[in-house]
Amino acid sequence: MKITACVGSSCHLKGSRQVILKIQELIRENHLEDKVEFAGTFCMGKCQQGVCVDVDGVVHSVSPDTAADFFQKEVLAKI
Amino acid sequence: MNNLCADIGWQSYNKYGETLCGDNVEIVDAANGTKFIVLADGMGSGVKANILSKLTAKIVSTMMAAGLQVEDCVETIAATLPVCKERCVAYSTFTIIALHDNEEAEIIQYDNPGVILLRDGGHYEFPSQEVVIGGKKILKARVKLQENDVFIMMSDGCIHAGVGIELNFGWQREDIISYMETFYDVGFTAKSLNSILLEECYRLYGGEPGDDTTACTIRIRKREPMSLVVGPPSNRDDDQKMMSLFFSKEGKHIVCGGSTSTLVARYLGKKLESTLDFDDPEIPPIAKIEGVDLVTEGVITINKVLTYARDYLGENTMYMDWSSKRDGASQIARLLFEEATDINFYVGRAINPAHQNPDLPINFNIKMQLVDELADCLKKMGKRIKVSYF
Repeated sequence: MKITACVGSSCHLKGSRQVILKIQELIRENHLEDKVEFAGTFCMGKCQQGVCVDVDGVVHSVSPDTAADFFQKEVLAKI
Repeated sequence: MNNLCADIGWQSYNKYGETLCGDNVEIVDAANGTKFIVLADGMGSGVKANILSKLTAKIVSTMMAAGLQVEDCVETIAATLPVCKERCVAYSTFTIIALHDNEEAEIIQYDNPGVILLRDGGHYEFPSQEVVIGGKKILKARVKLQENDVFIMMSDGCIHAGVGIELNFGWQREDIISYMETFYDVGFTAKSLNSILLEECYRLYGGEPGDDTTACTIRIRKREPMSLVVGPPSNRDDDQKMMSLFFSKEGKHIVCGGSTSTLVARYLGKKLESTLDFDDPEIPPIAKIEGVDLVTEGVITINKVLTYARDYLGENTMYMDWSSKRDGASQIARLLFEEATDINFYVGRAINPAHQNPDLPINFNIKMQLVDELADCLKKMGKRIKVSYF
């Protein structure tokens, strides 16, 4: 599974750093380092929906508050 | 003309309790390419000394830059300076360094502590000739410039630092020479070297300078061109043109902005690799493109660089922040403030639709303004700046 989080200007201001730290932490906690490839990317062109997180080609709108929820539904459930 | 240039930094500490400084430094570029640096120290302290030194520095630099001889300058000063009522003389000492085409330095000194020249890691004593002009003994010298020469001009506040407090006879010129020799090889900028000297004076004075203390450091260095591109062009048809101009320039290349780096990666046919390292939580992570020296995010990073630039020109309190950190803004600051001497900005005026959201503190006008202000700050640092819009 490949996850990409946007680190562009707009998403950065909406808290992409916190989202990224949370996802990194959850990947470690669940020992998914071998199964999940996690990377950053510059602007995905969907700033209105930021923070944009792409999971295998599908873009999700995540905020620092919903990061844990998102991980549960979109990552853990589908791995 | 050779490929050398002068990196100049100066700073003053006022005599303890004074709000005005009795020393002044003027830097003037003459039309023929000669650069004049004048350090004047007015007699006494406070407002009177301030006026004396300001007039002296201004008169000397303006007249010399207009091609007049030092004899004329001295006569003019003697005739112009207001005579001090208490001491019945008009008096301001001065040091002039004229850099001719960055090939030769002409050094003219009147009563200030002798100019120090550091060359190849050590002190270099250059011969001076004494001439008497209007009853004043003036020392003249000419020195062929070499890369990495460091000239230090001082007011007597420097060599009197610590008199009777830390040291019996003050911090003598020989002591200053051996102190500064130890920093020669580090590769500090003129401004940093100069701060190192003045901080030590301030410390020796116990934080209460007994006299106005001023130093001006000139470092002769190679010109270092650099190019920075930010924003895609407003017309897509100009993509190729902008990219080929940008990459045809000598020196390091910096790319700022998400869409800009995508454009660059496409142009070079290389992969754009983002990182997730937040060295500074405020600044988005940098990315990598083979063939580009630095790839960063745009507006937020540039905004931070501008904050650093303003501070560097003023109080210089944030130096420790950007001089060692690895985030995009700190890296740009180091490259532009310390390494580059000639900077080409390529500014694309495409409007990022995603940034035109009223909820976001970034928009097109702010971006353009940031670049203009940054270019202004860099000019004030003595750099040659060219901005091209697309």
